[in-house]
Amino acid sequence: MLRNVANRLVGTFSRPAGAPATGAVLQLQRLYHERVVDHYDNPRNVGAFDKTDPTVGTGLVGAPACGDVMKLQIKVDEETGKITDACFKTFGCGSAIASSSVATEWVKGKQMEEVLTIKNTEIAKHLSLPPVKLHCSMLAEDAIKAAVKDYEAKRAKENGSAEAPLEKAADA
Amino acid sequence: MWKKLHSLTPLSTNLLHRGSASVPYPSATTADPFSSEITSKRSSLSQFSSLLLSPPQFQIEGNYSYSFHSPPSSRVFQTPRLHSGLHGLNSGFFCSIASSPAANSKCWNCNAVASSAVPFLVCHGCRSVQPPDPSIDYFQILGVEKKYDVKVENLEGKYKDWQKKLHPDLVHTKSKKERDFAAEQSARVTDAYRTLSDTLSRAVYLLKLEGLEVDEEGRISDPELLAEIMEIREAVEEAAETQALNHIQAQIWKKLEHWSKSFADAFQSRKYEEAISSIQRMTYYKRANEEIIKKL
Repeated sequence: MLRNVANRLVGTFSRPAGAPATGAVLQLQRLYHERVVDHYDNPRNVGAFDKTDPTVGTGLVGAPACGDVMKLQIKVDEETGKITDACFKTFGCGSAIASSSVATEWVKGKQMEEVLTIKNTEIAKHLSLPPVKLHCSMLAEDAIKAAVKDYEAKRAKENGSAEAPLEKAADA
Repeated sequence: MWKKLHSLTPLSTNLLHRGSASVPYPSATTADPFSSEITSKRSSLSQFSSLLLSPPQFQIEGNYSYSFHSPPSSRVFQTPRLHSGLHGLNSGFFCSIASSPAANSKCWNCNAVASSAVPFLVCHGCRSVQPPDPSIDYFQILGVEKKYDVKVENLEGKYKDWQKKLHPDLVHTKSKKERDFAAEQSARVTDAYRTLSDTLSRAVYLLKLEGLEVDEEGRISDPELLAEIMEIREAVEEAAETQALNHIQAQIWKKLEHWSKSFADAFQSRKYEEAISSIQRMTYYKRANEEIIKKL
């Protein structure tokens, strides 16, 4: 399947005549970068946490143009606000899978405010993503932000209901 | 002589691509400097006519020196646009800017005027293959009404008819120029057939003709849709036997039909936001379907 995927990527590198010199470099790197292949062959942090767990934030994003969908989950230590664990599930191309895999690796052990500063360009650079796959790294950045946002929303809801009568707290 | 053409071509290509939001051509304001050039050109009409009768001069060599305003990524398309720019130069340019270049096009070989009844891919008089004209859309090429509801059976006949006249394998005896035209035209006809045969690509193409292109970098966070797709993709991944896969596939086909109809209604009533979201859903379901097919 990776062969199909790699062939597909080869197909996306159109070679117009008179292309600038950098095109020659592109021509040599027609396959996925080895880091992308590594994340594909040795997936790390694939899985799922319990969505209803109050310490879990779930980010669910998609790229409708290519039909990709990415779920990134974080487990946060309530006391310190530090992300203790992360996992992902992505349906999409190798670049999208690798981007979300890298994202889960990078958020682990960091503060929530800190992970919000992770830029898609850093992910793309780490994986040597070609221009046509940059949106995969953008998707990963979106997923991180969505996961943090979800956790904070859950927390706010919980805090809000803690002040309300006990029945409401039981519902949260 | 070259310089004049160089500066005029962007205007003619603007004619051909009005309404298309995706084309990175100079804005209308750059057309104004040409107007003074235009009036001076009218007096030298004969010059241009002779140019058109001997097109080999500006067809093959040095085409890429004409990549004026377009970004490198569209350089691949310089050749066809230059050719069609010349058609526009001859017809739409001097006659009336608003008229369709295709209808007033002339054959480069025998000067016969194209009839507006049939798309001008091959000259009816001398049978020469014409340069591709991007203003002729896929619906015109395959002779069907420009709408979403297309009978796919009707497409194949016209597709084969064109290939009998245009296919590169059948033009061995013709000049290199004509063989190049044939290669481009044949590829375009194949594109037309493939695009219109598939419901999703047909929908995307219809919106493209309205000036709405798919944003390759767009991201969404609609929780309901994404959760549904996630569920479907996970189910496909976990499905152990063919029966389970067929069951999921049947459900997907139902949804595709539903959203296909939704697109048709939205497009008909010009509700483009709805049309786009219908296409997005169809794209997701189609991807899921492709994964099932791989597993089966």
